[in-house]
Amino acid sequence: MNDNENILIESFFKEAALQQIEDNGFTERVMANLPAGEVNLAHRLTRLWTWFCVVLGGVLFFLLNGWDSLKSSINMLLSTILTGLDVFITTAPTTDLRLNPWLILLALAFVLIFLPYQTYRKLSATL
Amino acid sequence: MAELTDIALVTQVAVFHNKKAFDQLVRKYQSPVRRFFLNQTLGDEQLSDDLAQDTFIKAYVSITKFRGMSSFSTWLFRIAYNVHYDYIRSHHQTGDIDTFEVARQQASSGDAGLRMDIYQALALLKEEERTCITLQLIDGQPIDKISDITGMPQNTVKSHLKRGKDKLANYLKENGYER
Repeated sequence: MNDNENILIESFFKEAALQQIEDNGFTERVMANLPAGEVNLAHRLTRLWTWFCVVLGGVLFFLLNGWDSLKSSINMLLSTILTGLDVFITTAPTTDLRLNPWLILLALAFVLIFLPYQTYRKLSATL
Repeated sequence: MAELTDIALVTQVAVFHNKKAFDQLVRKYQSPVRRFFLNQTLGDEQLSDDLAQDTFIKAYVSITKFRGMSSFSTWLFRIAYNVHYDYIRSHHQTGDIDTFEVARQQASSGDAGLRMDIYQALALLKEEERTCITLQLIDGQPIDKISDITGMPQNTVKSHLKRGKDKLANYLKENGYER
């Protein structure tokens, strides 16, 4: 197999590779023939499994004193943040930090408005 | 980006049982899947559409088995390959000539003439060679993806491609395609 033969074969199939088949009702036929029962069963099983996990999680949470663990975790997190802030304040450079308020506003707008809007747009496109 | 959209759609189908999401997936992939079957059946449109429909129904039923280890299109092509393989096994290929005759009857326009030549050339190949050749040259799949789709080792895919291309080169030369 030489290069010329390769080019010959590729050009022979070039048009076939570009061929797009029109839907012409194919999707509707597929959708009309989808089996409802089997998927419903799978869906029911999935929901049952989800509920089972939620209930099991709730029971284990109370049995293993989950509330105390959660409280201590939150306290630990808060104290870590406070310590970090304390260290930052005591070791912060004495010269003025140049933070442009417009930049902060822009970053906040990006996080609070643009990202939720994009997420909403993508989710509504798929629904 | 396209793969992210596919995964979002698959999630909608698998978790929320969202049929509209599956409708979008069928619309997006109907052309490559039907084209794949047209090439495997040497242009039998009715049979291709039946096998493509079977493929999408199997994909819908087993969508929860899609783990995202490969792209959705590779997973779908794997199902299509298995559907075709099962069809060949159960019907034991009553002969390429039969399907080829169906295609011949359906071809009427000038554009169909070239397609007939392609089907005639593909009819010279063995099933595995035809699958590998069409996946590479028409569907643009790389060798590792062809290996994923067919379940054949990459070296076997390469051998099928080599043998298939040799046969095609001879056919094209004999039929005056060489300039």
